Amino acid sequence: MGATSVASPAPLNSAPSSFPSLKALKFTTKQQELLIRVSALALIYVLAFVVRLFSVLRYESMIHEFDPYFNYRTTLFLTKNGFSEFWNWFDSESWYPLGRIIGGTLYPGLMVTAALIHRILHFFSFAVHIREVCVLTAPFFASNTTLVAYFFGKEIWDSGAGLVAAALIAICPGYISRSVAGSYDNEGVAIFALLLTFYLFVKAVNTGSLAWSLASAFGYFYMVSAWGGYVFIINLVPLYVLVLLVTGRYSMRLYVAYNCMYVVGMLLAMQIRFVGFQHVQSGEHMAAMGVFFLLQVFYFLDWVKYILNDIKLFHSFLRITLTCAITVGVLALSIGTASGYISPWTGRFYSLLDPTYAKDHIPIIASVSEHQPTAWSSFMFDFHILLFLFPAGLYFCFKRLSDATIFVVMYGLTSMYFAGVMVRLILVAAPAMCLVSSIAVSATVKNLSSLVRAKSKSPQGSGKPLSGSKAAAKASADQSLPFQKNGAIALLLGALYLLCRYAIHCTWVTSEAYSSPSIVLAARGHGGGRVIFDDYREAYYWLRQNTPPDAKVMSWWDYGYQITAMGNRTVIVDNNTWNNTHIATVGRAMSSYEHEAYEIMLSLDVNYVLVVFGGVTGYSSDDINKFLWMVRIGGGVFPVIKEPDYLVNGEFRVDKGAAPKMLNCLMYKLCYYRFGEMTTEYGKPPGYDRVRGVEIGNKDIKLEYLEEAFTTSNWIVRIYKVKPPKNRW
Amino acid sequence: MAKGTNDAQLLIQSLRKAYASTPTSLKIIDLYVVYAVATALIQVAYMAMVGSFPFNSFLSGVLSCVGTAVLAVCLRIQVNKDNKEFKDLPPERAFADFVLCNLVLHLVIMNFLG
Repeated sequence: MGATSVASPAPLNSAPSSFPSLKALKFTTKQQELLIRVSALALIYVLAFVVRLFSVLRYESMIHEFDPYFNYRTTLFLTKNGFSEFWNWFDSESWYPLGRIIGGTLYPGLMVTAALIHRILHFFSFAVHIREVCVLTAPFFASNTTLVAYFFGKEIWDSGAGLVAAALIAICPGYISRSVAGSYDNEGVAIFALLLTFYLFVKAVNTGSLAWSLASAFGYFYMVSAWGGYVFIINLVPLYVLVLLVTGRYSMRLYVAYNCMYVVGMLLAMQIRFVGFQHVQSGEHMAAMGVFFLLQVFYFLDWVKYILNDIKLFHSFLRITLTCAITVGVLALSIGTASGYISPWTGRFYSLLDPTYAKDHIPIIASVSEHQPTAWSSFMFDFHILLFLFPAGLYFCFKRLSDATIFVVMYGLTSMYFAGVMVRLILVAAPAMCLVSSIAVSATVKNLSSLVRAKSKSPQGSGKPLSGSKAAAKASADQSLPFQKNGAIALLLGALYLLCRYAIHCTWVTSEAYSSPSIVLAARGHGGGRVIFDDYREAYYWLRQNTPPDAKVMSWWDYGYQITAMGNRTVIVDNNTWNNTHIATVGRAMSSYEHEAYEIMLSLDVNYVLVVFGGVTGYSSDDINKFLWMVRIGGGVFPVIKEPDYLVNGEFRVDKGAAPKMLNCLMYKLCYYRFGEMTTEYGKPPGYDRVRGVEIGNKDIKLEYLEEAFTTSNWIVRIYKVKPPKNRW
Repeated sequence: MAKGTNDAQLLIQSLRKAYASTPTSLKIIDLYVVYAVATALIQVAYMAMVGSFPFNSFLSGVLSCVGTAVLAVCLRIQVNKDNKEFKDLPPERAFADFVLCNLVLHLVIMNFLG
C-alpha cells in the first residue's frame, strides 16, 4: 500500500507558516507497521488490565476467596517486619497447638513481588496501602503475560501470530478465572513466570546462547518461588529434550541451552526453603536429572564419533560406553528408589497420572472442588473458539516443524491432558491454547488476505519473460477458481465474526462468572434491586472486636485463613491442610454428639466455634453441604466415625426421616439452633431449610456445653462460645 | 581374549591420535573439565566416608564442580571452529557468557554453602 500522505502538496504551499509541514508525517511502510504493532500491543496491555476490574467496580477493592487472605496476611507481615523476619517466621496463630513454620512452607514469590511493587511506589511517593497493591497485582501481571505471549508468538511463528496470541490471552477466560483483581493468589504471578521461562528457554534453544539460557534459569527460579506447579516445567523441558534427541533434531544449541538452565536453575531453585533438596531427592524431579546424564553421554559419544572418523572402532567404543552407562544408571535408580532415598511421587501429583487414586486413598485431596475432572462444558466455557482453533494450529505447526514449534506442540498436548484431569489446570493450558490458536488465526488470515490482495494479472501483461510465466500460471490459477477473491473475502469476514463472538463471550463470562469475591454475596431482591450479604466480614469483625485476643476458634478448614487474616484470632485448622490428623480431629468433633465433642474441644483449648449456615438465604456452600466430607475425613483417621450412621438408605437427609446420629450431632445442633422458630419463606412452615428444600427434623435443640455468641444478620455465619467446665461442686 | 585387548588397544591408540590434532585452546578447556570432574569425584568419595551432613554444603560443592565443568563444555562447543552453528559467534562473546554464568553459579553456591 502506498504511504499515507495526509495532505496533497497544493494547500501546503498556501499556508506555510501556521502548520508544520505535514509531509514530515509521511511514514514508510516499515514505520507504519511498527506503529500499528506498538499501538496494538499497548491497547492489548491496557485491555488485559481493565477486563479484570469488574469486581472492583461492582463491590469494592477487596481480597477474594480463601487462599488470597493467607497471602495477604503474609505480605502484610513482610512489609511491616522485613524480609529476614518473614523468611524465619514461625506462626503460632494457626494450627493451635502445633503452629506452622510459615517461612519454610510457603512459596514467597508472590509476596515478595507485591512487597517490592509497594516499596517502589512508596519510593516515588505514591502512598498506596498494601491491600490495593495486592488486589491489583494479578491484573498487572496478566498484562505482562500478554507482552511475553507476543514475543513468544514472534519466536515460534512471526509477529502477526504474536499479536494474535497477545490479544487472545488478554481475554481468555481460562486465565481470567484465576487472575481477576482481588484474586491475590500464586497463579496470578505463576502463569507469567511459566510463559517467561518457556519463552526464554525456546529463545536459548533457537540461538544457542549461554546468556539466554541463564535468563531462562532465572525465569525458572522465579517460577519455583511462585507456585508448586513448577514441577510441570521441570518435567516438560526434559521430555522436550528427549523428543528432540529421539527424532534426531538435536544440535549443539540444545546442549548449551538445557545444561546451563538445568544446573543453574536447580541451584537457584534449592534456595527456596519449601522446595529444599527435592531436586535431587524427589521422584518428580528425577526425569530432569536422568535427561541431564543422558545428554552428557549422548554428546560425548557424538564427539567421539566425530573425532574417530572410523565406524568399526566407534561401534566397539559405543558398546563399551553404553553398557557401562546403562548399568550405572539402572543401578543408581533402583538403589535410590528401593532404599527410599528417592521419594515416590506425592499424592497431589500422582493423582494427575492416576485420577482415581485420590478418591480412594486421600479424601482431603478429593474433596477440593478444583481438583475434580473437567467437564466438557468447562472447556467450552473457558476456551470458546480456541477449542477448534487448537487442532488447526497443530496442523500449521506440523507443516512447518522447527525446534520452537515442536516445543509449543508438546506444551499444548501435555497441558491439555492435565487440564482434562483437573479443573484447576485449565489455567496452565490457557497460554498453550492461545499460542497454538494464534498460529492458526494468523496463518489463515495471512493466506486469505494475500488472496484478496492478489492483483488479477491479464495474460498480455508484463513484458519480462520470468514474471510473464508466473503471471501466466497465476492467470490460469485465477481462471480455475473464478470466485477466489470473493470466497476469500467471505472467509475473512467469517473469521472476523468468530473473533468478535470470542471477545463478546469472554467479556460476558468474566462479568457473570469470574468476578464474584466469594466473601461478599449478592442477590436480586424483591424489587429487582441488588441485595448484598456481607455476613462473613460481619462475623470476622465481630470476632476481632468482641473476643479476648488469645481466643481460639474452631471451624472447618475452609475458613481458617480468613479468620486469622480478618478476625485476627488463633485457629485450630486452616486451608494449608498439612496435618490430616488435626483436621480429622476437628471433623470428628463436628460429627460427634455434643458431650463427646466437648471433650475434644476442651483438649484443644477451643473457646469459640464458627459454622456457616445457608438455610435462611439459600446459600448452598455451607457447612451442612460439606458435612459428609467432614465425616469422611474424620472417619479416615478415627474409625469410630462411620459414614453410614449419618445416611438413611445411602441418602443424606436433614428432615424428620434423617438418621438419629445426624439429628443430634454437633454440626446439626449448631447450624439449626433456634432455626425451628424461623420462617424463611412465605407459605412454608417454620424451620424450612431453603438449601436442602425440606423442613428440618429436630427443631427443639438445646445446647448444654455451648452458648450462642453471635449470628450474623442473614444467619450465614454463626459463632458459639464454649462454656468452661462446670465446678466439681 | 586377545582380540578383545587388541581391539581396545587399537581403540585407545586411534583416540589418542585423533585427539592430538585438536587445537591447544580446546585442550586447555578439556583439562579444566577433567580437573572439575575429578574434584567432584573426590568430594563424593569424601562424602561416602564421612556422611552427607550438612547436605546443602555437599550439594553446593559437587554442583559447583559439575556446573563449571558443564559450562566449560558449553564454552568449548561455542569456541570450536568446527561447529557450523556457532560460526558467527565471536569467541570473546562466548567467553564473556562463560564468565557471567560462572559468576552467577558461584554466587548461588556461596549462598547455599551454609
